[in-house]
Amino acid sequence: MILSIALKEFYNNLVSARFTIGFLLCLFLVPFALFVSINDYKGQVRAYETERKQAEESAKVRVYSALRPEIVKPPEPLSIFSRGVSYNVGSEVKVLLGEKPFLSTGRSAVRENPFFNSFFSLDFVSILAAIISLLALLFTYDSCSGEREQGTLKLMLSNSVGRYKILLGKVIGVCLALLPVVLFCYLLGALVILFSPDVSFSPGEWVRICVLFALSVLFFGLFMLVGLFISTRFRSSAVSIVVCLFVWVVFVFIVPNLSVYMARSLIKVSSQESLRSALSDLDREYGEKCKGYRTNLAQPDVWMHWNYTVRYDGFQELYGSSRSLMEFYRQLNQFSEPLRIDYADKKWAFQKAYLESLDRQRTFAENLALISPSEVFRLAASALCRTDAESHYRFLERTRSYRDEFISFLNNKKIFSSFEYFTRQPQETFMTGDEIIKTRTGGEFETMREFGKWSQAHNGDFSPLWRVDIPGTSPNEYQPLDLSQMPKFRWEQASIWGSLKNSLGKVAVMAGVLIVLFYLSFISFIRYDVR
Amino acid sequence: MVLNIIQREIRHHILSLRLHITLLLTLTIFGLGTIAFVKSHSEEQAEYTKYHTEFIEQSRKAAESNLTKLAVKRQNLVLEPRGDAFITDSKEKYLPNRFDFSGYNVFGFDIRPGSANPYLNTFQELNWVFIVSIIISFTVLLFTFDTVSGEKEAKTLAATLSNPVSRGALLFGKYLSMIITTLLVLAPGMALSLIILLISGAVAITPVVAGEIIGFLVSVFFLVACIAAFGILSSVLTRNANISLLVALTLWLVFVVIVPNTAVFWARRLFPIEKVETVWERISREREEINRNAPKGSWSSSGDNPFLPQHELRANNQTNLMNSQMKILNAYYGEMFRQYERARMLTFLSPLSVFEYMSEAVVGGGYVRFQKVWRDLHAWQTQFLAYFKEVDAKDPDSPHWYNPYEDYSTTRKGVSFEQVPVFKEKSLPLRERISYASLYLLITVLYTALAFVLSFVLFLRYDVR
Repeated sequence: MILSIALKEFYNNLVSARFTIGFLLCLFLVPFALFVSINDYKGQVRAYETERKQAEESAKVRVYSALRPEIVKPPEPLSIFSRGVSYNVGSEVKVLLGEKPFLSTGRSAVRENPFFNSFFSLDFVSILAAIISLLALLFTYDSCSGEREQGTLKLMLSNSVGRYKILLGKVIGVCLALLPVVLFCYLLGALVILFSPDVSFSPGEWVRICVLFALSVLFFGLFMLVGLFISTRFRSSAVSIVVCLFVWVVFVFIVPNLSVYMARSLIKVSSQESLRSALSDLDREYGEKCKGYRTNLAQPDVWMHWNYTVRYDGFQELYGSSRSLMEFYRQLNQFSEPLRIDYADKKWAFQKAYLESLDRQRTFAENLALISPSEVFRLAASALCRTDAESHYRFLERTRSYRDEFISFLNNKKIFSSFEYFTRQPQETFMTGDEIIKTRTGGEFETMREFGKWSQAHNGDFSPLWRVDIPGTSPNEYQPLDLSQMPKFRWEQASIWGSLKNSLGKVAVMAGVLIVLFYLSFISFIRYDVR
Repeated sequence: MVLNIIQREIRHHILSLRLHITLLLTLTIFGLGTIAFVKSHSEEQAEYTKYHTEFIEQSRKAAESNLTKLAVKRQNLVLEPRGDAFITDSKEKYLPNRFDFSGYNVFGFDIRPGSANPYLNTFQELNWVFIVSIIISFTVLLFTFDTVSGEKEAKTLAATLSNPVSRGALLFGKYLSMIITTLLVLAPGMALSLIILLISGAVAITPVVAGEIIGFLVSVFFLVACIAAFGILSSVLTRNANISLLVALTLWLVFVVIVPNTAVFWARRLFPIEKVETVWERISREREEINRNAPKGSWSSSGDNPFLPQHELRANNQTNLMNSQMKILNAYYGEMFRQYERARMLTFLSPLSVFEYMSEAVVGGGYVRFQKVWRDLHAWQTQFLAYFKEVDAKDPDSPHWYNPYEDYSTTRKGVSFEQVPVFKEKSLPLRERISYASLYLLITVLYTALAFVLSFVLFLRYDVR
């Protein structure tokens, strides 16, 4: 009996205009959403290739002070299905001594045209969530109220058939009509993925897509029962459709914005500028300590930096300076670089507090969004697709532990107390200041004092110093460092179970709500006045 | 007769469930949104004031110790949070909102780090424009999808038309009554929002803001007129209310989801711009070229002697480097602007996007604000540089070799900060706002006219049986 009701419902649904329009909507929107996402993904891959190349280039350094590994996270192919936060956060982390990896940066966080950030774009999962929830509601809103209006409900009940059978038959009928549509969306998606040359999924990723499909079915079922429940609560189908549609707009369009907006205004996150100013206070303190140490060191004979490059985070490369200046820097680094690492830990306290406030805001928004099943679905989907915030945290956590490995590698080499930290010029070839002046000026001046006097008399002219070049004092004469001993960055993605663990509770609640809804609709259908 | 129809329709609407739900929903969102706005706005304002005071203090310190230090100082201009953002924030958190400049040039712009929490989904703020463009547009369609097909199904259409009333008058009456009802629904929510704002005192309702609110109301009126016309169109397109509903929903999805979400995709295809990597490659090639041609010793320096001959070489070299870089970058920025503007033009297909742009123009926020600041900042920089050169010319201890990145070879004397031109953001003048808004208004009216005329023609031929 249930079956024949289900079949009747199925045929009814199949020939209805809503089925045609809904099906066409899916047929048009799903491939398009995927197409856009694949396009975005290709852009990410391109950005990744450039960034990786740059990272490789930047690893070709001559001195250890310039060695600051850049880590680039490859784009996530599953972001085609669920984008999550992967497009807001960057994918590049530079491992510094003076600061722990904080937030990732990089090109992928900024679109090629920064103005495009003001256009939001929906991914496959959001479009699917919007459409299948709409379809589920549109197919169920009149299942009771509509049949009552037509009078067919009374007719049906005049037969010897239990009300629960009718309800079950209707549910199965709608499922029969719409589950193929959901399946069709996924098959279409799979086809698009299979036939696009730039994307390839591993078997593990296909498994995740299958789980995503199961989630969608659950989500679809939930909205179907919402529609059914609303339909059994109202006597007129015109009213139940209005209620259904408002429920849909609130769940799909208002709650996502509302939750984030409320989180933003209720959970305070101080500005990055104030964080930066706290950090630069520490930097200043660090600078003061280094300065104090500097004045107590034996001063060099001459402050002449022949070939000198200096940048942030301790990078300095120096060639052709006097022996005592080299020794001065060696001793300074021996003090300043370990101190820099200590200061990174002090800075981290502030940075951690900032990150925690960001996370509090996010957790608040996500918890508030749990009111809406479509948000639960999206959150679970992004966890499944490894594009949620937690997956990104794991990556950043890993870069922090890699920084520790990198520092212990440097410490093991005792690099901070060696000349190799800032120069490749062999120690034996260091000269005194006078020797340098004499060689460079071709013997015209014997000492620095002599040259200084001459230069002052000639309005600070340095040009005699370019007369004779000293070999080995130009950085271009040296090959990049051999870094085969350096620890490599390795990163394991979370297992499918690990990704699902966090969202399991939410999904279980969704399933629970589904059962409760079915029970409620059953009760209210039993009491439904069919006249 | 039209009046009778309007009265009947409004009475009918006011008693309907959908109106009550809408009222409840808009009141809730207006209330919640405004409370959240008040809280976050006062915090943002406090942050900004702190930042800005520090910014001015640092400029003052630099100017009073050494004017050149101020001229070469790379500074960041951060935009002040707008008090009228409760009408629309125009997505300013996602648009470039920080400017990088010195006295010598305006170098670029970016999105201020931390202006949006990267771990949150991108979202729309619950301001007035959001409420109108999502909730109100949806309700208007819900109210209108069955204007004709629903009455036909209820068999009242034939009865109404048996009275001496023309079809045009009937349709027009229904249309007008819809607009009036919607504005009536909106009024309590807006009033609530304004009351919260006034009580909290977070935002002063100045005459300018009041004018913006009126401008916003005008745009709402036209938007509602437009969406209602589309709703009526979907109701005369079919003979069955259920199908009309589907048509209306599809239209709404197209306007809200499809058009805005695909603009970037099409814009990238249709109006490609140079990749940022290749731009920087070109810049570094030019840099190398300039550095190669620079006389030897250009990079030597000594802080003690302003008249060191190498300072002049380096000043020239640095100026060349800056000019070549900025020439390429400015051309690239121009391309970006054009690409974005064209992408926006693609979204003109959706009246809701047009409405967002219209409100943006009314409050002078978002992209029009960005462009205004960008232009004004350039004008300010020219003025500042002229002032700087004038002060420098009077200093006998300066060799007047202008170096955009270093402070060795120009005046090292301080000036009183009060005389230094300081950049102040000016809000968009009324004339410009009107000229932008009228373009969008025109587009909206065009859509409205099209939809309404089409529905009128179809309604004349509608089989009311």
